[in-house]
Amino acid sequence: MIPIQKVVVLGANGTMGAGSGEVFAAGGCDVVFLARTIEKAHEGLVAAQNMAKSVRIADRISLGTYDQDMEEAVAKADLIFEALAEDMELKKSFFAKVDKFRRPDSIVATVSSGLSIAEMALGRSESFRRNFLGIHLFNPPSVIVGTEVIPHAETDPQLVRDIVELLERRFGRIAIVAADKPAFAGNRVGFKVLNEVAQLAEEHGVAFMDYLIGPYTGRAMAPLATIDLVGWDVHKAIVDNVYAHTNDEAHEAFRLPGYMEELIDRGHLGNKTPQFGGFYRRVKEGNQTVQLVLDPKTGAYKDVRDTAVRKLSWLEKIRDLHHVGRYRQALHEFVQAEGPEADLARKVVFGYVSYALNRVGPDEVVREVRDIDRIMGFGFNWAPPSVLVDIIGRDEVIRQLERYKLPVPAVLRRVKAGEKMFREPHVNIGRFFAA
Amino acid sequence: MSAPVFILGGYQTDFARNWKKENKHIVAMIREAVEGGLEATGIDPKEIQVGHVGNFAAELYAMQGHLGAFLVDVDPAFSGLPTARHEAACASGSIAILAASAEIEAGRYDLALVVGVEQMKTVDPAKGGEFLGTAAWYEREAKGIEFPFPKLFGRLGDEYDRRYGLKDEHLAHISAINYSNAKRNPLAQTRNWYMTEDQARSVDKFNTVIGGRIKISDCSQVTDGAVSLFLASEKAAAAYAKKRGISLDSIPRLLGWGHRTAPIEFDAKIAESKNQPYVLPHTRQAILDAFRRAGIPDVWAVQAIETHDCFTTSEYMAIDHFGITKPGESWKAIEDGTIEMGGKLPINPSGGLIGCGHPVGATGVRQVLDAFKQVTGQCGDYQVENAKRVATLNIGGSGTTSVSFVVGFA
Repeated sequence: MIPIQKVVVLGANGTMGAGSGEVFAAGGCDVVFLARTIEKAHEGLVAAQNMAKSVRIADRISLGTYDQDMEEAVAKADLIFEALAEDMELKKSFFAKVDKFRRPDSIVATVSSGLSIAEMALGRSESFRRNFLGIHLFNPPSVIVGTEVIPHAETDPQLVRDIVELLERRFGRIAIVAADKPAFAGNRVGFKVLNEVAQLAEEHGVAFMDYLIGPYTGRAMAPLATIDLVGWDVHKAIVDNVYAHTNDEAHEAFRLPGYMEELIDRGHLGNKTPQFGGFYRRVKEGNQTVQLVLDPKTGAYKDVRDTAVRKLSWLEKIRDLHHVGRYRQALHEFVQAEGPEADLARKVVFGYVSYALNRVGPDEVVREVRDIDRIMGFGFNWAPPSVLVDIIGRDEVIRQLERYKLPVPAVLRRVKAGEKMFREPHVNIGRFFAA
Repeated sequence: MSAPVFILGGYQTDFARNWKKENKHIVAMIREAVEGGLEATGIDPKEIQVGHVGNFAAELYAMQGHLGAFLVDVDPAFSGLPTARHEAACASGSIAILAASAEIEAGRYDLALVVGVEQMKTVDPAKGGEFLGTAAWYEREAKGIEFPFPKLFGRLGDEYDRRYGLKDEHLAHISAINYSNAKRNPLAQTRNWYMTEDQARSVDKFNTVIGGRIKISDCSQVTDGAVSLFLASEKAAAAYAKKRGISLDSIPRLLGWGHRTAPIEFDAKIAESKNQPYVLPHTRQAILDAFRRAGIPDVWAVQAIETHDCFTTSEYMAIDHFGITKPGESWKAIEDGTIEMGGKLPINPSGGLIGCGHPVGATGVRQVLDAFKQVTGQCGDYQVENAKRVATLNIGGSGTTSVSFVVGFA
């Protein structure tokens, strides 16, 4: 394993900076947290202690500022880990400084969740470019173990292999290698589904869509609540980037709904703006907290109790089956359910399977089915597409894809009868289905 | 043992999961453990002749009794299967194994399914601690006491201290080893948690004192989990081997077992063992019984141990009770690295209860499944090299019900 002992985190006061720093410190590295001020760096340290549930993790973390400590810290570091805001120019300005101070053999990584790795490396020295790559940890890194490693064209291929091994064996990650394409693998597939549900919410309502594509479909959290958690600004940045720079079969699914665009302009960013909210908003009424839900057609919020979702008998039956662990039977019911709501749900879920597996290939985002399974299962906590195929059955999945005029992925056609697609050892597939 | 009992394999759920968050009933956990075990072994459900479930307190944690009956819900082929549930606090899983193996030895059945299961993350820690108090004499030792068991096992450490001297730094080292081992185990609850020896030695806002000398780092986990195990007679094991083209000799056995019960009250135990070299003599005897029945002279005939470390003090006790050191000298095996991975006799390569997790009624079955995996070379990153025999120790209550097994090849 490559001997990484000293790590510098740039942007250590941010959620991803502190969280990534915690992962490196917990793995036994000496980590320098750099921020604009010592106070900010200290905020990152406190966040790291809370994530590790350990005061003593501070033994491995020292603090500094960009102005006073960056040169020395970067010069000594084996790994320089950039976790600044998702702003290409800001990142590039820091990389220019890093390039001046670093050792030629040190590794430089960005935690960017979707910006071009190649563009970040433009103008840098040859040794920087060879040793530069993306290491995309998901939020919060101390809990979510799925990790993407993203080389650009000039990254040393051996370094990519070494980093994957290091992340897995020393830092307890479940890592994949993804291509340097907009949003990489996890966010490309995940935000396609999230944005599609946000589009559908305009016609069908927020609470209804979260009910229809709820945890029973193989996700830890309902989609629109997930967008609130992520932040609408982040969501917009990701889907706009993919929409602008890709042109695949789901291109229109990445168009940010107009109502979201308007609300973002008015400051509605989800959970991070509690006064405005996002799809949901909590308000105090006397001693009680009341949950409000957005009406995308008007931009107004209604009391969730006044917008009760009509329960669907087939969906409730599926939830009951998940409750007692009958996952195969539950998904059989999902395939057989009748009515326009069932069609809508199947279109989204099989659209996910189709889109995810279509991203596998030599010119696609990942090389192996296992990679897309890993990042959706352990980065997003969604049922990996292969798990759905294995439980529902390859032939039935193909029938459903054809029924909804969704592209049938080449990798799906190659699956032999009786062969399992999901290859992850030691994983209970039931963990992906909540009731 | 009178007739050999073979172990064909089994399955463990991921102990990091939270089944309440997944909105699952305890039967979902049983189902995953059984279906996973059937898939791992290739056993046809129709072949199973009897089922035993180990569980401590589903009535309290999950408002559900009669767990044996839930086995029948797993597969249509199980309809009519004779089943039973067994309870002996944290030793419930081992008692279920003993019941199943006794039936095989007696010739009643040839293939038994054992499941250990506990769902614990349904209540807050204080309420869960109170529920665990029913494994002691509740009215006398637990009623009105917050977290009674850490306090009882803290007193086990105090008794060692009184008789032989005990340094908390040795307990911290036990904790650090278990956390470290768990990082290699893909099913361990704490595989991504942070705990170093420094942290285990510290007292701070994250590592608070729970009772007496017991801090959070000394405690096993609140865990949801289920484990299945398939036990077979020689006839069934031979058929299993033949079908798979393997030799009967390649299938490990339950080589020996020991089972003793001490007075339930902690004070009564200590009073009884006064002036004796072993603090928990009945636990020592359960281990010796297992060695005798396995036909091995002492602990050095096994290559690893999966022991009950509900608290660091219970592992400290296990070290001398297994005979790794003289009574009261467990610290020597901690200091010289004997019990670490790569040491002379690794303890809890899985991470044990502190690292792997402690779903109370499942722990005894998990220990034997891990012993099976060790002797068949299936432990991956936490494999102990050349493990031919592994011993287990599972304790219910404050050293009350002790069950020990030796698993492996004669």
